[in-house]
Amino acid sequence: MSSRPELSPTAGAEAPPDSDLERAIAAVNGVIVDKPAVVELAFSALLAGGHLLIEDLPGVGKTTLAQALSLVLGGSWQRVQFTNDMLPADILGVSVFRRQDELFEFRPGPVFANVVLADEINRATPRTQSALLEAMAEGQVTVDGKTHTLPRPFFVIATQNPLDMAGTYPLPDSQLDRFLLRTSIGYPSAAEERRLLVEPDRRQLLETLQPELDSQRVLALVAQAEALHVAEPVLDYIQALIGATRNHAGLRAGLSPRAALALIRTARAHALVRRQDFCLPENVKQIFPFLAGHRLQPLPESGLDSRSIVEEIVANTAVP
Amino acid sequence: MAHPAPRHLPFNAVAWTIAAFLIAALPHLAAMPPWLAGFIVGACAWRLVVARNRGSRPPALLRLLLTGMAIALIVLAFGGLWGRRTATALLCVMLAAKMMEMFSMRDLRLVASVSFFLIATQFLFSEKLIYLGYLVVGSLTATIALVRIQDIHGRPAGAAPVAQAAAVRNGAVLLLMAMPVALTLFVLFPRLAQPLWGLPDQVLDGRTGLSDDMSPGSISNLFLDDSPAFRVEFEGRPPPPDERYWRGPVLWNFDGSTWTSPFSGDAPRRRFVPEGEAARHYSIQLEPHERRWLFALDYPVRAPDNATVTVDHQLLNRHPITALTRYELVSNPDFVDMPTLPDGARSLALRLPDGRNPRTLELAAELRQRHPDDRELIAAVLRWFREEEFFYTLSAAPLGRHGADEFLFDLRSGYCEYYASAFAILMRAAGIPTRIVTGYQGGLWQGGSDYLLVRQSDAHAWTEVWLQGSGWTRVDPTAAVSPDRIEQGSGSVIERPGAVFNFDWLAQLRNRYDRIQHLWNRWVLGFDHDRQRDFLQRLGLPDLTPERIAVLMLLVLLIVTAPINYFLLRQARPARRTPAERAWHGMLGRLRRLNLAKHPAETPLEFAARVEAALPQQGAAFRSLAEMYCRIHYGDRAGHEAAFLAQARHFSPRKA
Repeated sequence: MSSRPELSPTAGAEAPPDSDLERAIAAVNGVIVDKPAVVELAFSALLAGGHLLIEDLPGVGKTTLAQALSLVLGGSWQRVQFTNDMLPADILGVSVFRRQDELFEFRPGPVFANVVLADEINRATPRTQSALLEAMAEGQVTVDGKTHTLPRPFFVIATQNPLDMAGTYPLPDSQLDRFLLRTSIGYPSAAEERRLLVEPDRRQLLETLQPELDSQRVLALVAQAEALHVAEPVLDYIQALIGATRNHAGLRAGLSPRAALALIRTARAHALVRRQDFCLPENVKQIFPFLAGHRLQPLPESGLDSRSIVEEIVANTAVP
Repeated sequence: MAHPAPRHLPFNAVAWTIAAFLIAALPHLAAMPPWLAGFIVGACAWRLVVARNRGSRPPALLRLLLTGMAIALIVLAFGGLWGRRTATALLCVMLAAKMMEMFSMRDLRLVASVSFFLIATQFLFSEKLIYLGYLVVGSLTATIALVRIQDIHGRPAGAAPVAQAAAVRNGAVLLLMAMPVALTLFVLFPRLAQPLWGLPDQVLDGRTGLSDDMSPGSISNLFLDDSPAFRVEFEGRPPPPDERYWRGPVLWNFDGSTWTSPFSGDAPRRRFVPEGEAARHYSIQLEPHERRWLFALDYPVRAPDNATVTVDHQLLNRHPITALTRYELVSNPDFVDMPTLPDGARSLALRLPDGRNPRTLELAAELRQRHPDDRELIAAVLRWFREEEFFYTLSAAPLGRHGADEFLFDLRSGYCEYYASAFAILMRAAGIPTRIVTGYQGGLWQGGSDYLLVRQSDAHAWTEVWLQGSGWTRVDPTAAVSPDRIEQGSGSVIERPGAVFNFDWLAQLRNRYDRIQHLWNRWVLGFDHDRQRDFLQRLGLPDLTPERIAVLMLLVLLIVTAPINYFLLRQARPARRTPAERAWHGMLGRLRRLNLAKHPAETPLEFAARVEAALPQQGAAFRSLAEMYCRIHYGDRAGHEAAFLAQARHFSPRKA
């Protein structure tokens, strides 16, 4: 993602200038220093109706990003700090017996919010993790035989510390694909880090954020993204990339048709985030590593990791 | 699209390459000392195990040592580094040694490619039809190995290895695609009238036909040899069976046990033999036999090219026959050889060693007294052979010092050499000039009456006596004893050891195979300079110089490969392009000339950014064109197209 050509206004002329989406993105970028691509990815995951997993070291701004996102989105938001003694009920909610009514009443857990920040998800036990992951996949929660629908939009931003392995339960490979995209943030550049040092504290900055969107608007944007035009050559490109994962000798298995559908959905959302009114191969190309990386398992004997395989596939797949 | 080479060659490619090499080496392995063949097979097996276990190559010093040892042993085993057997063995050993360092794609490809050559070297040793099948199997294996190797090397990253069946199919298709080229090269490659080099001797590895001397017992090993000696095609009426005497070496000198020819040189015939009224026209395809003589019916009118006729009407080629040779002949059966016998020839044809065969001499004197006329005397001897208890057998006892005495009075059983030799001694003793002729007699019709197949087992010896008025006259004493031998061919009298297995269908199968072999000989091996000329003549292209034939060959090659080229080019090009795509690719082509080539994996806009950096003046224009193209190509294609086409056409990039 070193060079990121942006389509000039000629190409995106139809997008409403200075829209609320644009303002929301600009607001998050004002808080997260020097990471416009990550912010783009986060908005793409949101508008594609998926969830985001951020894997990085502590202190690079994972939580800040999640908070900023939830603030500009305007809906309800919840933060869950995962620990190893946490139970599924702590996330989903519990039914309690109300003596006066002689009835069970469901008390929704923190998952009932438009934006959920699941911090350090790998510190929870697999049982608790899967409770959240199932809720993410279904869009609903079933407690004591009763199904409770989660609010829409429903967007989970989970963070995971890849280095802090002691006493953690890394998400199993098979459940990683509950997240639409997986990304990391990385260190800012020297100049931008200087800005971080000079400017007021991020927490103060966060307090200044105003909701630019609301739930209805987000749902409308999701619908708008779904309607975006994807031309045949872009579909060819998507199929070529997916096909390459299925034919790669270093991989246990290729990407599923579900992953292909996710790719096209996210590429559309990415195009919308960039104010394009049609999908470009760039959208696919830039989304693909974050969509495929955690869904592919390299064969141990190939000596390669999934990241380098994905890079190799992108570098060798012709753009039609 | 460089793909990082895997650290270990895939087992599949290694296995196919080794299979190709082993098939190529197989006929040579059989001719090698066992320990050498063991070294080669062992090296291959070792390499397979290493490929399975993903091992690495042995240390360089060990490799060097083993290779050096193998070469030294070859020198010892073959006595030097000269000769075809040594050279092919050396090649096999070097390739086997290559197994020890076959750890890169390049090495694999080398071994597979040299395997093709190794397969072809087999034709230095034998040109039998069966090796055509071998050639096909070997080439197919080597081609599949190349497909497998190419698969590791040229496979785009991420593509799965080609399935086994697909690789086999690919190899077969490649071979088939090469067929028109191979056929064109075969038919049109300029042939030289003379080979550039002759094959060294011993093409047959010691197996020979007739020898140039005769002592009773020497031909017998030929009788059980079913291999073809030559094939004859007649123009017009073939001679009756009892006239199918194929003349070979003529023997005059007898030292008591062995008959030899007195003429060491070519001793050319000076007499003119006219064609006569009953002339027979025929052509002979002679299998290589390492000797110089050619076989003919009595009496050849003139010698084929590169051959002479000796005084006793034997055809001698200038060089030993080391390859299948075809020649055409005219024979005059009515020619009278030597109506008058010169004194020198007469004394040569009457000479007998002293102190041998006293009883035969006695019998001759007695016969001479009773029959003053030569013809009557001969008839009497033949009648004697026929009426007394003389037998024809192939399991005859060896003869001692007085061979003719032993045979005529005690043994009385033997085969043609015994009869010819004893008869000649008896005739000479009776004062009738006699010489022995060896050659072949008879032959079997193949495929109805397409051609006559003469086998080694048809080898025969007979005599010629000189008679006043009819000159040298053929007398076959064997015919008196065993007329079947002459009428029906050698097969009728030979008691085969494996007679149980001699079923009719087997014989039929053998005959059918010989028919195919005959066609193979005639149209493939025998396709020489003359045949090529005939062929071109029939196409209406007479008298082409080799240079012209070469040009013709190139032309035909271009034509026969055109469909393949067309097919490949069409596959390489994507399907129909829209006008915008054509204009875009036109611009890409113009930029490529400035060393600004779009990488296939680059998107148009990524490429535009690169162009903008490289061409500051025109970059912006190109960028806007790229954006227009994206709008048309990836957008909904509405509008813009005309403007883009017009601008793209005028875009001509220049280096700043």
